[in-house]
Amino acid sequence: MAPICKLSGVRKTYGEGELEVHAIRDIDLEIQPGEFTAFVGPSGSGKTTLLNQVGCLDKPSAGTVEIEGQTTTGMGERALAKLRGDRIGFIFQSFNLIPVLTAVENVELAMQLAGKPGGRAAAKELLAKVGLEGLEKRRPNQLSGGQQQRVAIARALVKEPTLVIADEPTANLDSESGRQVLELMRRLNEDLGVTFLFSTHDRLVMEHASRIVRMRDGQIIEDVADQQPELQG
Amino acid sequence: MFILSLAFKNLFRSVRRLILSTFAIVIGTMYLILGQSLIGGIEESIVRSALDGLTGHANIRVADYPEQGMQHPVDELVELSPEARAWVDANVEAVTERTMFAATAVSGSDSMRIRGVVYDPATDEAVFSRAVWKTEPADFVPATAADGAMVGAGLAKLLELKVGDTLVLQARTPAGAINALGVPVGSILNTSNMAIDGSTIFLPKELGVDLLRSDTPSHVVVKTKDRDDVDAFAAGVAPHLGDTYEVHTWVEETRELLRLQGIRRKALNILVGVLLAMSGFAIANTILMAAYERVREIGTLRAMGMGKRDVLLLFLAEGGMMGSVAGALGAAFGGYGAYYLSQNPIDLMAMGQNDAMGASIQFSSWLYGQFSPGMVAAPFLVALGVAVVASLYPARLASNMEPADAVKAEG
Repeated sequence: MAPICKLSGVRKTYGEGELEVHAIRDIDLEIQPGEFTAFVGPSGSGKTTLLNQVGCLDKPSAGTVEIEGQTTTGMGERALAKLRGDRIGFIFQSFNLIPVLTAVENVELAMQLAGKPGGRAAAKELLAKVGLEGLEKRRPNQLSGGQQQRVAIARALVKEPTLVIADEPTANLDSESGRQVLELMRRLNEDLGVTFLFSTHDRLVMEHASRIVRMRDGQIIEDVADQQPELQG
Repeated sequence: MFILSLAFKNLFRSVRRLILSTFAIVIGTMYLILGQSLIGGIEESIVRSALDGLTGHANIRVADYPEQGMQHPVDELVELSPEARAWVDANVEAVTERTMFAATAVSGSDSMRIRGVVYDPATDEAVFSRAVWKTEPADFVPATAADGAMVGAGLAKLLELKVGDTLVLQARTPAGAINALGVPVGSILNTSNMAIDGSTIFLPKELGVDLLRSDTPSHVVVKTKDRDDVDAFAAGVAPHLGDTYEVHTWVEETRELLRLQGIRRKALNILVGVLLAMSGFAIANTILMAAYERVREIGTLRAMGMGKRDVLLLFLAEGGMMGSVAGALGAAFGGYGAYYLSQNPIDLMAMGQNDAMGASIQFSSWLYGQFSPGMVAAPFLVALGVAVVASLYPARLASNMEPADAVKAEG
């Protein structure tokens, strides 16, 4: 099966000369469709930098990144924005919802950015899928952390993405909310075949992951696939 | 469309800041409209004072007739050739004859140098509009010697004259003699032209002939079909006048004052420019703060697929909306003010400005504002332009944020 994402010799360097810092170096990685992969490691190990390369939020200093066989390294800003808008969903540690928009408007905005039809009805349907029926008109500040993260998941899914990148998705949630959010993502992964990539310190996330990539000092030091996730509920 | 919708919602994140920034633009726009309205009103007032006061659209007088003050030599009179007069009659809307003279008015123990104007009751009103005249008794303009003289309201006040009183006028006749005549005050005239009301006595032709012993006018005054036709009239009549006479138009009469007004208008524009620049900085500051406060949000939008251009448009739309709402409010308030002033003039006399204005400048004490849709539309567009330009820098800053850094910013 063709990988959904392939990184070859990817390096990201900040600064120059003596101040040069390699955030990640010599990363070779393939992600297969339907994976539920956790990137783990201490702070500063390069997890987020690596996911930024995969999510086309950043460009590598060296090496190539391919998404669905398409090399992104030489792409212009507009093409990258389109690729993100069409194929990649993001879930953030701090949820990053637009505070002036209601839950349904946040989802609808993502639909419009992705050029997806369906409008408000489709946005409501997605919210219902993540268990937020009846809360569509609430603004982010009227939702709990877990509910906000569910809106963020719905928002990430509107474009039927090739992959969803989740940066510490449970870090700002209590353990129960974190568990529910993870179960939701796992369910979406299994039911819809959405590929999830996490960066995390959370043991719970690691327990759910089907593959764990360990990082240290900008390099992959361990890549364990075929984990047996602890599915609950 | 969703960019506009999002921009609109973003505007209300900080209502207090929005109000303060909007207020600055509203004030700037209002100030621009009202300032232009009043300066335009003053200019029109200057022109109307010349047209309806002593100059008319144009007048024919002896060459080198004195320009300044109340020098009105009665030995410099106009006797047009029949051919010249026929040309004039054929090429204007109305013609009248006036004799201006300097005189001394004596009332009891008071005496004053005044300007006398002898007018032809049959033709004067066709040339000089009396639309804003107020007389006491009402609508009474003397037509015969028995009706008496019409005394300017300011002059009547200075000489403590009222209708029915008699004053003595002393004037030199064209023959060089000094003549004095007891003249009854037939009416008190308020033309709203302070230069006239404070120093002028109007005599109907019969009374003027009694005093000056001459019926030859010092000025043949015309009203052209359009007031802007006077230059063509002056050029056309000149060959018929020879070197003896000259044409003096309202344009020449008002040129210096209008030039001064032009300077005033420039000064106003500079002040408004400063005010709008300050408003622009206020808007730039508001949008800039919004950009810095929403770094993470911008990053999120970029991550979701919003391009740099759309982020730029989002922030420009926020500035544009702020400018259009503030500009519209300023235009509405300023436009209403200008319209109100165009219908309800400020009475400078009532404000105690009659002394300050002096008696030598022809200027109406009724200060009207000017109003036109264009006067309101242009400042609105200026306000909108200022807001959009002011938003450009913060918008560029926002659109150039790196999404990878922005998504992790403190929110």
